[in-house]
Amino acid sequence: MPLSQPELVNTLASLSLFADLSRPQVEQVAHRMSEESYPEGQRILRQGFTGSGFYVILEGEVAIRIDGEERARLGRGDFFGEMSILLGEPPVADVVTLRQLHVLHLGGPELEGFLREHPSVMFRMLRTIALRLRNASRWRS
Amino acid sequence: MGMISSQEKAAALAAVPLFAGISDDSMAHLTEVAGEVEFPAGQFIVRQGQVGSGLYVIIHGLARVVRGSTEIASLGPGEFFGELSVIDQEPRMASVEAVRDTRLLAVASWDLLRLLESDPALAQNLIRELARRVRSAGEHHHH
Repeated sequence: MPLSQPELVNTLASLSLFADLSRPQVEQVAHRMSEESYPEGQRILRQGFTGSGFYVILEGEVAIRIDGEERARLGRGDFFGEMSILLGEPPVADVVTLRQLHVLHLGGPELEGFLREHPSVMFRMLRTIALRLRNASRWRS
Repeated sequence: MGMISSQEKAAALAAVPLFAGISDDSMAHLTEVAGEVEFPAGQFIVRQGQVGSGLYVIIHGLARVVRGSTEIASLGPGEFFGELSVIDQEPRMASVEAVRDTRLLAVASWDLLRLLESDPALAQNLIRELARRVRSAGEHHHH
């Protein structure tokens, strides 16, 4: 069930990605992104396929799978889909819901403009991607 | 080698893809805060495990990136390193050693963070570059 506008704003304000935004900015984000729900077992992003978006998890859990093998799980406050959009390449993993999932969605072409309008969100995202790079590099060595 | 002029410095910075499309104000500021440093062949520019103090852009020369005892990349003019430590303030993941006499421009963490906050184009270039590297690290892992 969709959240009421004040509930949605409260939820967003509690997520670290949006932690540096003012209340009016969070309201703007809530307005700009669309709320969506997916049942358990659904593939939201498909490895190798174009046509995607940026998703922020409000509730629920997804598995990141590459060639059918689970690599990671994401939950409340995590986000996905941004890598393909930033790189203009198809997703390299499937993203599959492990239970009912409640997300905010932004269309791919809108992401870069959105980040430019909200530099603090871009900076939080930058830190998350930097962390992934560190983890990926450790893995390799 | 003598010091380079500020025009040369600006031209060198403008040629770096990381700084493509940033505002004139940002470029002027960057040129002002970037300091020129030089390392003779064989000397370490940064060391793995140290807390980073900034971003380096190679102007002339050649450097190699070493993790543990493995060389993982070599870097030439226009290429940069050190940005991860600026973003997350964690220790450096690798050492970088000058292979030839190498001249670089160094941008202190504080100055780079201020630029990232004030110029979304720079943050966007950096986020794309990091995303690209995450993907390529993932691909190597598969092999």
